[in-house]
Parts: sequence; C-alpha cells; structure tokens
Amino acid sequence: MKLAVLMSDYRTGSDIIDRLSAEKLGIILVGNGVYHAAAKEDGKACAILDKKAEFFALTEDFESRGFTADKLDSRVKAVNYSDVVDLIFNDYEKVIWL
Amino acid sequence: MGKLTIGTFSSLVGSMSLDFAVKLAEAAVKKGHNVDFWMSGNATMLAKKGQKAFKDYSFLSKTLQEMLATGNFNITACEACAEARGYHKEDCPEGFQRKSMDWYLASTFEADRVLHIGGD
Repeated sequence: MKLAVLMSDYRTGSDIIDRLSAEKLGIILVGNGVYHAAAKEDGKACAILDKKAEFFALTEDFESRGFTADKLDSRVKAVNYSDVVDLIFNDYEKVIWL
Repeated sequence: MGKLTIGTFSSLVGSMSLDFAVKLAEAAVKKGHNVDFWMSGNATMLAKKGQKAFKDYSFLSKTLQEMLATGNFNITACEACAEARGYHKEDCPEGFQRKSMDWYLASTFEADRVLHIGGD
C-alpha cells in the first residue's frame, strides 16, 4: 500500500509514525507538524526524519511560522497545496491525518 | 480527474485543521477534481450563514461560495450535529446541505481518495 500521512502536530503522533509501515510511505508535514522539518532538539534533527519515507512540508505553514525553505532538513521537500493534491491523487492510495 | 472526500471533525472556524481542509479542497477544485466536504461536530458551524470577515481572522465563506459556483464541490453538514448546536435548516447558506452520516459514508465509498480529519 502507498500511504500518505498528513502530520499536523509536533508533540504528538511520532509514536504512530514509528509503528507505520507501507510499501511506499509519504509524510506530509502541515500545521505545527512543519516543526519536524526544521526544529532541532539538543542539536539533532527530529527522529521521524530517519524513517524510511518521503518527506514534504507545506510552504504556507512553515513560512507562517518563520521558517524559509533553506532552513528545512535536506530530506524534506517544500510543497504547496496544489502539490499536496497531486501527491494524494498521483503518488499515494490512502491518506491519513495525524 | 478524481473525487476527493474530506470529512472534518475539527473544532470551530479558526481552527488550523478546518482552514487546512478548506484550502486543500480549494486546491483540488482548482485542479478540476470533485470534492465532497463533510462537517461533523463543531465543524458544522462552518455551515452557518451570516459569517463576517474580520481582520486577521479566518474567513472561509467566500472560498466556499466560490467553490460551490464551480459545480465540482459539495458541502454537507451533519444534521444531528447541527441541530444539537441550535443550528437549523433556515440557518444554512444557499447551496449547503444537511444530511445524516449516511451521506458521508456513501461519499467515501464513491471517492477515489478520502481524508478524514479528526478533532482538535
């Protein structure tokens, strides 16, 4: 199964991500979930970025929180709403919200 | 083109997930997809007519009306959730529907993609 996860929070949901497995996994960071793409704790990037997955972050949401695309982890691709629609229809079969 | 069903059980207008859901629907409609938008719980208040725009506050009514005008967008509030909040048929903006959850279930079975957004 090709599964896309819309991750909307920073402090919750990582445990669920840890338990997910899919033939193809995409993690789309939206809302406060975009902090996973840029925030560091103790100098380390967020652990979910070590997951075998494709990572995306919604530009509108990370820019509204003061981040610019060059501050995102290199594993994360910036996307807009139109891109998210394309990901949902073209790249993944199932979509869940965390 | 496909059909996307979005079910939102989010908080009131102004919540991040409700704003996200409407913006995602808007992007999908602009790309020519059909969107069914279902509101349960407090999200039903998105379907209350007479909402006004304030500076720096979420205002989604205009976007919803523009999407309805395309003919590719259906927006439906859970009738029971609405009634429980004192929001009746006459409070519903033109073009908005009120149905039982059967409508949402049927929509998810017909859809190419489903996104169910939980409460916040």
